[in-house]
Amino acid sequence: MAKLLEIDKVRAGYDAINVLWDISLTAEEGKLTCILGPNGGGKTTLMRAIMGLIPLRQGAIRFGGKDISNVPTWNLVADGLTMIPEGRMIFRDMTVEDNLLIGGFTRRCRANARANLEMAYSTFPRLKERRHQLASSLSGGEAQMLAMGRGLMEEPKLILVDEPSLGLSPLLTDEVMAILEQLKAQGRTIILVEQNTHKALKIADHVYLVRGGKVVLSERKEDVDMDRLHDLYFARDVAANRQDA
Amino acid sequence: MMKYLSLIIILAGAYLAVPLQFGGNDYVIGIVVSALTIAGIAVAWAMLGNLGGMISFGHSAFFGVGAYGSALLAMNAGLPVFPSILAGGVIAGVVSILTMPTLRLRGPYFALAMLAFAEIFRILAIEMRWLTNGSGGLLSIPRLPTVFGFDFGSRLGGYFVVLTLVLLTVFVYWLIRNRPEGLALRAMHDSEDATLVVGVNATRLKAAVLVVSAFLTGIMGAFNAHYINFLEPDYAFNGSWTTLAIVAAIFGGYKTLWGPVAGALIVYLVDQFVFKAIMPSGHQLILGGLLAAIVIFSPSGLLPWLASRFRKEAGDAAHP
Repeated sequence: MAKLLEIDKVRAGYDAINVLWDISLTAEEGKLTCILGPNGGGKTTLMRAIMGLIPLRQGAIRFGGKDISNVPTWNLVADGLTMIPEGRMIFRDMTVEDNLLIGGFTRRCRANARANLEMAYSTFPRLKERRHQLASSLSGGEAQMLAMGRGLMEEPKLILVDEPSLGLSPLLTDEVMAILEQLKAQGRTIILVEQNTHKALKIADHVYLVRGGKVVLSERKEDVDMDRLHDLYFARDVAANRQDA
Repeated sequence: MMKYLSLIIILAGAYLAVPLQFGGNDYVIGIVVSALTIAGIAVAWAMLGNLGGMISFGHSAFFGVGAYGSALLAMNAGLPVFPSILAGGVIAGVVSILTMPTLRLRGPYFALAMLAFAEIFRILAIEMRWLTNGSGGLLSIPRLPTVFGFDFGSRLGGYFVVLTLVLLTVFVYWLIRNRPEGLALRAMHDSEDATLVVGVNATRLKAAVLVVSAFLTGIMGAFNAHYINFLEPDYAFNGSWTTLAIVAAIFGGYKTLWGPVAGALIVYLVDQFVFKAIMPSGHQLILGGLLAAIVIFSPSGLLPWLASRFRKEAGDAAHP
């Protein structure tokens, strides 16, 4: 399988604080790559670095073999890189339909915007019912659907989904995961960032555990040992070392 | 259907009824032309405010640059008047590029930086005597020409020209609003970060709206120069070109397409025909009162308020 996204020893952060420490990972075409990890581990920072929202201090990111380090965000979106951001980032003062249509802003997908809109509505029928409502009137689950629908409007080659389960009930989380699985079945490449380990693992092909700005575990889903994963997740290895010393 | 019908009625009224009724009265037509000039600036201003989310206090700069640009081209380069009006708009658009560093600022900081720019241009017009003749101003600027036997240089001719320019300005605004760019610009008020994520180059779009708004304002200034045939810095760069436009846009409803036009016509005509007659000096005070009243009763302006009243009555009729 071809590697669609390659992150090669990337270092990035905010002002005086460095968050990512020479992190390397890859996403294979048509697969769902899952990035797990505790709060503050650098998952969202990694997403922001891929999307060009923060500059790289070191290392490189390649998308479809092409170096995209420090390419402006709007060009990345035009090339087929789509982020469904943490906290949805929908446009609250605009209608649901306008929110979706703006996903088709880039020149590449303008001509197909109407067709893509129908596709988004068929994936998320509830959005169609609410098409003329202001996005601010949506529930958390619907807002997540809207953010995902908007992402589909961008005709993505790679979808980065950042903590879609944030603030959602277990039932809605299941619904979101089902839709991601459906998108994967359509052959789309997805990177899913999650804290909900169990639900994310169910639909993942490959799992990375990111902690302290580094990859501490990289395994195929079949090889994941839950006990070891939890130990690493909660940094029990570090705690054990401390006790030894 | 209703929409097209009312548009046709308004157009017929503007192009036929007003000239037939008041065509012979240069005083009335002159005031209507001033009101329409302000309407044009108000639409261009509202475009920047509503689409770009940028409140400018400096549109008098673009008005003045357009006026001087067009007047100088017609006087010194011998350009025919209509092309030179267009060129005046282009010059204002190009000059707006100089103000682009202010796009990094937001809200009141942008507004104040633009105010400073307007003042700089006024001073430049006074100091660059070799070009503008300084405070002495420009005299006998070529008037609008006679085409097919109709004298556009007359008051009534000026009325037809400015009316057409205002309608074209509204049309441009409408076009931009309905393009994906207009959608992206509206989305930017909510969150510029989020528009970045969907692939919008926010800075470039804002810059483009600034240029278009400056161009349209410059056109109004250029028309004005050839209409009154006389320019001086304190007139062309007068801050009241900005203030009156802002008052008109906010009064009529700056988020709507026609609000700025309606606002300019109502505010200016009522001020000139009613309040000025009652109170020859200081009649602008009443404008301030009117603006305060509309902001209190309907912060989104007159047209949205009327529309909601109309909807309510239609609703009441349907469900008695």
